[in-house]
Amino acid sequence: MLVLDGLAKTYGPVRALDGCSFTVDRGRMIGFLGPNGAGKTTAMRAIFGLVRLDAGSVTWNGRPVTDEDRMRFGYMPEARGLYPKMKAFDQLVYLGTLHGMTRPQARAAAGRWLETLGLADRADSPVEELSHGNQQRVQLAAALVHEPELLVLDEPFSGLDPLGVETMAGILRDQADRGVAVVFSSHQLDLVEDLCEDVAIIDQGRVVLSGNVDDLKDASAYRRLDVEIEDGGEFFRHLHGVVAEETNGDRHRLLVDKGTDVRELLAEAAAAGRIRRFVYTTPSLSDLFREAVSR
Amino acid sequence: MTSLETVRMVAAREFRERGKSRAYLISSAVTLGIILAMVVIPAVLSGRGRTFTVGVLGEGNGPILAAAEALTADDEFPTTIETVSFDDRDEASTALEEGEVDAVLVDGRELLVTTTGGFGGSDLERLLQQAASTRRIQELLTTGGAAADVVEILTAEALEVVPLRGERGEEAARRGIIAYGGLVLMYIAILSYGAWLLTGVTEEKSNRVVEVLLATMKPWQLLAGKMVGIGLLGILQFVVTLITATVAIRVTDLFDFPEIPVDLLLSMVLWFLLGYGLYSVAYGAAGSLVSRAEDAQTAAFPMTMVAVVGFFVSFRALADPSSASAVAMTFIPPVAPFVVPVRVAFGAIPLWEHAAAVAVTVGFLAVLVRLAGRVYAGALLHYGGRLKFREAFRSAEM
Repeated sequence: MLVLDGLAKTYGPVRALDGCSFTVDRGRMIGFLGPNGAGKTTAMRAIFGLVRLDAGSVTWNGRPVTDEDRMRFGYMPEARGLYPKMKAFDQLVYLGTLHGMTRPQARAAAGRWLETLGLADRADSPVEELSHGNQQRVQLAAALVHEPELLVLDEPFSGLDPLGVETMAGILRDQADRGVAVVFSSHQLDLVEDLCEDVAIIDQGRVVLSGNVDDLKDASAYRRLDVEIEDGGEFFRHLHGVVAEETNGDRHRLLVDKGTDVRELLAEAAAAGRIRRFVYTTPSLSDLFREAVSR
Repeated sequence: MTSLETVRMVAAREFRERGKSRAYLISSAVTLGIILAMVVIPAVLSGRGRTFTVGVLGEGNGPILAAAEALTADDEFPTTIETVSFDDRDEASTALEEGEVDAVLVDGRELLVTTTGGFGGSDLERLLQQAASTRRIQELLTTGGAAADVVEILTAEALEVVPLRGERGEEAARRGIIAYGGLVLMYIAILSYGAWLLTGVTEEKSNRVVEVLLATMKPWQLLAGKMVGIGLLGILQFVVTLITATVAIRVTDLFDFPEIPVDLLLSMVLWFLLGYGLYSVAYGAAGSLVSRAEDAQTAAFPMTMVAVVGFFVSFRALADPSSASAVAMTFIPPVAPFVVPVRVAFGAIPLWEHAAAVAVTVGFLAVLVRLAGRVYAGALLHYGGRLKFREAFRSAEM
């Protein structure tokens, strides 16, 4: 189990981390969310000892993270980087051995991962000759080649096409199922919602919301109402407890107080016109996110 | 896994990948090409039947000149010798001074030359010596001389060489040339291999692989590994070049290959390591301050200046290896790697000074490694513009 506890870091006048705390359990996948500049990258770097913290601690299985622990961590930094002229296979073998694998082990693992990611025929290509998506795959393999117990990925989905996203998601899911603790940052909230049981939302250097996604949704003070009414006009003006709305033609997406009676809402909607669609549900992760980071 | 294993792995990767890079192979090929050209071209040119003008004074010169021409008669391009007769020594010396003749043969026993050019003398000098020996052996055979006389002729110089200027001092000349050659090689090696480290560090930063690496190792391990790997490649290139040059010189028989004194060789290896250590650490730190390869040379400018200045001031040591300035420079670490081998070559440095210079430089290197290591650690994960030395030092983590 990885625990970040009260991490603080200031760069000159900028407070990158300000009491950032969250936990990643083995076999779980946690989405690490936050607006740009919230401190996600700094927090992830702190796990690898790449940042000199002003305060706070990072522990793994109850003890402060040691260099040996880090040998069993996998990292995909936001700033992607591999040696452009080095062959994909050689690169993975090198990184495998740096993580303490023997050469034969590293060679076997590198071959296996290239196979899994559909890059077996490009094993001997220098990384710079691969397409962007394939470079991204090699980068993922670099984080996975030594079979880590903890996987930390900074924006693993950025720049991937839908198929790439699917492959990446599948691999992360597999890793979590195998007992690996997985934490990744992303701006693609829908994706995180589909993929993760847990999230941590960071804003201005501190975690403002964290926990199981379903629990967080249930605990929210709001509910989401999605309605479509033929020529309904702005029927919601009469409703009580509407905190936000978006209108697109006949379609309205409302955020209402949790205490609002659904039957009352339905009656009001029916009175306004013919209902094509009426969905009452917990708020989406995007809603939670917006609520958590609103200033 | 121990720290040293990590360093070894980094070094091994550096060695393997850079060793098969086009840049390395091309630079090695170019260096070899230059060396071969330097050796082979003069050898080819000297084979094109040269003509010497030799002044003659007194008796007994004819047979030697005839023997000299006979010696090269079977060559593809025989040497021809033209003669100018003189009546007295002053007249001959003046003509020699003014370059009208290449040398003057006196009474078949003496050879007047302008100065002692290089080790083993000029080509003409060697040819005439050989001719004179041949001539004397022929004489000995006709008069039925003893075997001991033959040995004496073969071991001694048949002609007494009298230079117009300077002492014969062959040993000093030899050491001087080696010192000069060594100095230039040292300078080239330290600067070019230091520059590899500079660009290597910046490349790792600009292609951002450094963050993945630092997640598994300490910055100093990465820096040390790169230094060792690149240093080994540099030494390999250096050794291959030297061996090629030696072989080429022996094969073409361009000139007598100087026997490099062991003390000088050891000193050069030691100071190459110290010099490379100093400059590569400094270059590594400079390289870490910038994120783009274009900025690397600018960041390294101060180091390059120090090396250039060090190189030029060491010419003073070449001129006078025992001067006060040469002694002072011995104890200035960035300059010492250039100056000390020069002084060793001339045998102009007492052992204690040599030992003290090594100690001072090693001490300086130790401080520099810590300083540079900290700058390197602080700067590696900073992207964007050029980082100031002080900022990097302050933000250092490890």
